[in-house]
Amino acid sequence: MSDQIILQLKGISKQFPGVKALDNVDMDVKKGEVHVLLGENGAGKSTLMKILCGIYQKDSGSIFLDGKEVFINSVKDAENLGIGIIHQEFNLLPHRDVAQNIFLGKEPLKRGFLGMYTIDKKTMHSKCEELLKTVGIDLDCHTLVKDLGIAQKQMVEIAKALSLKNLKVLVMDEPTATLTKGEIDNLFSLIRTYKNKGVSIIYISHRMEEIQIIGDRVTVLRDGKYIGTVPVKGTPTSELIGMMVGRKITNLYKRDYNGAGPEVLRVENLSSRGKFKDISFKVHKGEIVGFYGLVGAGRTEVAKAIFGEDKYDSGEIYINGKKVKCQSPCQSVNYKMGLLPEDRRDEGLITKMMLKQNVVQACLKKVFPNGILNSNTEKEIACQYISKLNIVAPDENVIVASLSGGNQQKVVLAKWLLTDSQILIFDEPTRGIDVGAKAEIYELMNELARSGKAIMMISSDLPEIIGLSDRIYVMYQGRIVAEFNHQNASQEQIVNFAIGRGNDL
Amino acid sequence: MILYNIIRLLKKLPGIVYGLTIIIVFFSVTANYFFTFVNMMNILKHASVLIMVSLGMTLAILLGKIDMSVGSVMSLVGVVTGTFLHRGIPTLIAICIGLAVGCIIGFVNGYLIGIKRFDYWIVTFANMGIAQSLALVISNGYTIPGFDSSFRFLGDGQIYGVPVGIIIAFIITLAIMNITYNTKYGSNIYSVGGNEQVARYSGINTGDVIFKTYLLSSLLAGFAGVLLISKVNSASPIAGSGYEFDAIAATLIGGTPFDGGKGGVFGTLIGACIIATLRNGLNMLGFTPPIQFTLIGFIINLIIIFDVLNEKYKQRRGGVRNEA
Repeated sequence: MSDQIILQLKGISKQFPGVKALDNVDMDVKKGEVHVLLGENGAGKSTLMKILCGIYQKDSGSIFLDGKEVFINSVKDAENLGIGIIHQEFNLLPHRDVAQNIFLGKEPLKRGFLGMYTIDKKTMHSKCEELLKTVGIDLDCHTLVKDLGIAQKQMVEIAKALSLKNLKVLVMDEPTATLTKGEIDNLFSLIRTYKNKGVSIIYISHRMEEIQIIGDRVTVLRDGKYIGTVPVKGTPTSELIGMMVGRKITNLYKRDYNGAGPEVLRVENLSSRGKFKDISFKVHKGEIVGFYGLVGAGRTEVAKAIFGEDKYDSGEIYINGKKVKCQSPCQSVNYKMGLLPEDRRDEGLITKMMLKQNVVQACLKKVFPNGILNSNTEKEIACQYISKLNIVAPDENVIVASLSGGNQQKVVLAKWLLTDSQILIFDEPTRGIDVGAKAEIYELMNELARSGKAIMMISSDLPEIIGLSDRIYVMYQGRIVAEFNHQNASQEQIVNFAIGRGNDL
Repeated sequence: MILYNIIRLLKKLPGIVYGLTIIIVFFSVTANYFFTFVNMMNILKHASVLIMVSLGMTLAILLGKIDMSVGSVMSLVGVVTGTFLHRGIPTLIAICIGLAVGCIIGFVNGYLIGIKRFDYWIVTFANMGIAQSLALVISNGYTIPGFDSSFRFLGDGQIYGVPVGIIIAFIITLAIMNITYNTKYGSNIYSVGGNEQVARYSGINTGDVIFKTYLLSSLLAGFAGVLLISKVNSASPIAGSGYEFDAIAATLIGGTPFDGGKGGVFGTLIGACIIATLRNGLNMLGFTPPIQFTLIGFIINLIIIFDVLNEKYKQRRGGVRNEA
């Protein structure tokens, strides 16, 4: 590692509809270092990297490579500059083989029949084999990607990024999330090889122990803002976590813990292959139970299985002490269950329809007596919830898509209150919602709990989890690894469990 | 060892090839004169028009989209070419003008869908109507009859007993197969159809790929239209209508599903041959056209059921499972 700065990001900002994803973020990467980018879910790490790789366009700010300002307007631009990325989600074509995926968009060509340029499959496959050998995986490059296991797909993804010529900066967005211990060691030795060749690596990960092993410097982002850059050596993990979660819990969270009532929902040993395993928990009347974990820990999958949207392999679900098997959301609604999904726009609302139509969506019987629409009832119901939940909307006929995130969430909530749901599952209830509306949602949740609903809340927002939950379950890689009471929960401890470190700080 | 290699090669072939073989064997046994050189050539001659238009459709479906305008483009190209031939314009120039008119439709399709990102159903449906109506306007609604022999050679002539139409279809099929399997553009079609976002993230100009594909689809439909009027020796303004559905059927039977990104033109070639063989064989067995449609539908269902079961079986045996 030298002290020469190869890549510099200055004052990068990016606005998405409704959210400021990045706010004046700086970062500089030295030649041949492993620069860790750290932050909670939604802190803006992936957005920053997508800007660097030409997938998103920045609103303001500038990027310098080798001291010269560069303009990255497309993926091709980034590739030509020698910036490669390994995406968090798989970016592979399942029905194409390994070599085709690795060389996608940059296939070697040769002049063939009638002077036509054709893909030089021989060169492609021999290059691919060579590359796979350096990456250290034993794979036939003719295998279709759909026939590979998750870890193998990840390795193909890594090989794809390494196939760039004149690679200068390599971005790895949580590359180890799906790898086993041995594979991670392999990856680390690979990273060291490339590091010695002078390639700079921007490494995104939540796993503290990895950062200690592989990282040179750490830049921390929080809520789209730059917090600081520190060397890994000499900075204790607890300090990093502090920088990462750093917010003070203000009185945003009002919660009357008024003692749990009888048990409403009990889940025992729920398992679904490849998603989660041996999930057991219960939710009492008047309780908010929080679920914390990293993206991909299996929280949403558990919620969907309980709600009957996804199937599960084994385990039991009890509602009010009675064993039930929900095969479809339709049945769950009859059991007085409501799901406020993570993806509000796609799963929670029919955004092209009016507010009043969305509110009555789960309870159409009320507005269709005898099968004919009673528009007066519909209007009454909608107006009632607009005032009750304080929804800011011009009237009940407004198209839901035009509402702000917070108000949309309230419409989803209204839908489930209308069906008189006793169990409410909130999946990321405040994602993409501004602070003011957040406070209102929290107040509503508090009120709901007081009125005797059982609430299961999934969130990646630590202060939210700690501020609202009676009890907190932490999930890691498909299992519940810890349970906390609201009195003894600390941010550091919860994060420790969520990143798989367990109890040792 | 040789036998083993042959068996391995046979196993690699798509299941649909066996479907075609079974059909041919069935008709050879049940119908007299079915398995003769003349009849085989006859089948291929009928298949050649369908093959060409199906190739274009397959490319569109590989993109995860569809081109509903191909049938009308066939009619339009046929009518334009026929009109110019009757004006005494040299054959080759008349054909080129016809194809150029067809390409205009493809250009509009490609521009609106690829560059402007409009919905492909609406655009190709609209252009299907426009092309059809233009064909009717140009021909005044009448069929243009009779062409001279130099033009008829395309659809009706023979070289060493092999109809010229088949040779043309064969060459074009080889060219398209080469494009899809060997060129970057062909590979990009699969990428865009497989997952457009992945393609974009990999630096592929997806709009450009879509544009070119719709242009090519119309060009192929134009070839089919020219071949068709040459074969039947008249240019009807509705000659091509219905071909879009046959082309979709040939594509789907050939193992290219609607989601795009997998399958290929070789399967479509076989699919088109299956449709043509069924028509011919059922004819020879003495079934009237109305019954034929029922039987063809029935057989296509059977083939697809068999294919789905086969795929499932392969998946159960081969796929790697992810451990929790």
